[in-house]
Amino acid sequence: MTTEDATAAPSLDGTIWAEVDRALSGITASGEPSVQDVIVHIPRDEIVRGLRALKTDAALTFDYLRCLTCVDNEDEGMDVVYMLYSTEHRHNLTVKTHLDATDLHLDTATTVWRAANWYEREVMEMFGVRFRNHPDPRTLLMPEDITDTFPLRKDHPLAEIEVMQGEGMAFPSGEGE
Amino acid sequence: MTTTTPGQEFETQDLMINMGPQHPATHGVFRMVLQVDGEIVRDLIPHIGYMHRGAEKLAETMDFRQGIGYMDRTEYLAQFNAELSYVMAVEKLAGLEVPERAQWIRMILCELNRLSSHFMFTGAFGTDIGVFGTAFVYSFRERETILDLFEEITGDRLMYAYFRPGGLAWEVTDNFERRVGEVLKSARQGIKDMDGLLTENEIFRARTQNIGIISAADAIDWGCTGPVLRASGVPLDLRKTEPYLRYAEVDFDVPVGQVGDTYDRWLVRIEEMRQSVRIIEQCMAKLQPGPIMPERMPRMLRTPPGEVYLRTEAPRGEFGVYMVSKGGNRPHRLKVRSSCFANLQALKDMAIGSYVADAVAILGSLDIVLCEVDR
Repeated sequence: MTTEDATAAPSLDGTIWAEVDRALSGITASGEPSVQDVIVHIPRDEIVRGLRALKTDAALTFDYLRCLTCVDNEDEGMDVVYMLYSTEHRHNLTVKTHLDATDLHLDTATTVWRAANWYEREVMEMFGVRFRNHPDPRTLLMPEDITDTFPLRKDHPLAEIEVMQGEGMAFPSGEGE
Repeated sequence: MTTTTPGQEFETQDLMINMGPQHPATHGVFRMVLQVDGEIVRDLIPHIGYMHRGAEKLAETMDFRQGIGYMDRTEYLAQFNAELSYVMAVEKLAGLEVPERAQWIRMILCELNRLSSHFMFTGAFGTDIGVFGTAFVYSFRERETILDLFEEITGDRLMYAYFRPGGLAWEVTDNFERRVGEVLKSARQGIKDMDGLLTENEIFRARTQNIGIISAADAIDWGCTGPVLRASGVPLDLRKTEPYLRYAEVDFDVPVGQVGDTYDRWLVRIEEMRQSVRIIEQCMAKLQPGPIMPERMPRMLRTPPGEVYLRTEAPRGEFGVYMVSKGGNRPHRLKVRSSCFANLQALKDMAIGSYVADAVAILGSLDIVLCEVDR
């Protein structure tokens, strides 16, 4: 690969996007090239329908959920990201769905892949995104009694963590410095 | 008055047993609540998170070079592999080309790290099964030789921080070739020892064969990777399916199991160690003098906006780094896709219906690193 190729703007031509577009007919999806996998944007309300279509389509069969996570874009809301892989055809795809900062709800993907279970629990407690109909919405990494603060959000303080750990443990402001 | 017929099944009451987080068989701070009926596990509830320290968020506040240290501390048994995913993600975003020599050295170190990590597994797993002591000290002797080499190169026994976006921090030691030869010689003997000590051992086989079986379809659905997935007969190895570094230029086999039980997971790892030795030998033959960093490297590395999900084959499976950059010198979002996190999810499926003692063997065969699970 020459340097020109590496720096050239990625394009959707010749990628998996054509197949994905066909499999997602009836769903408003748009594709975006990236330096690695093709990114598909699916609206929040159609996400599970879209994911299931990607899994069951014979030419795509995305039967493997590599990873599921969330990106906090502060005022612009959040993106829930799914990294998919097909063990049969050995191709990759990234699916993204956008959530408005005021309405952080979407349907669970555990009905499509069981692997989504823990990933969604992690996103729930770390970002405060609610997955509807999740089979086991307990906290996963955080203590059970901390459910009102979301550590991986951008607005969560990094240093003043003591304040967040419940009553009786906090320094009154200004003290202890 | 009621009478009972001899041999009639009595209904017993299920008992909830807590195991961990401080338990020698849970490999760190992992806790599981077992619902047992006599000796049989009826249900298993895993509890993780005791080691959560927000490594992802911390790395988001630091520039690309500072984040490398957090990768070491995330996966502390396969540090080079963890660093590799991270630096390769940065390189992909920034469009950096890595010199050939640096790529070969990275491969050698990653495969050596796979060896040291699997030696840790063979030792710890032996202890879980009940071969107390012997397997552990033999494994650790081999692991020690490898760590000595790493210390000579990087200056640290565990937290190497040796890979850099673009290449390597500094050149390897002058006696690198001789030392790798010595380590390989000792590792070859070590693999033979472990194989001879346990693989055909009658007690070992009784404790592992047909225990904790997971089918290929279930393993894929749960998102298992690495030896756990391959033991179920799925020949997926990122070094083969999506070759990175120079893996396409070396010859090696991907071992797969047939049953998907605890014994197969052992066999797959033992064979993987032999393959690692093979890979390192080929890498050493191809290693040529040359630069280890690109000629022009910016003093402060900045990447254009973009995102990448970069995955490599670590000893425990796919170690992925999802990095979102909005331009600038630090990631906007960093997500570490831990291999053990997904493998551990499948534990429940494997352990239900087995004996309590076998649940320990199954957990051991997953070879979890809790620091990586919790991040």
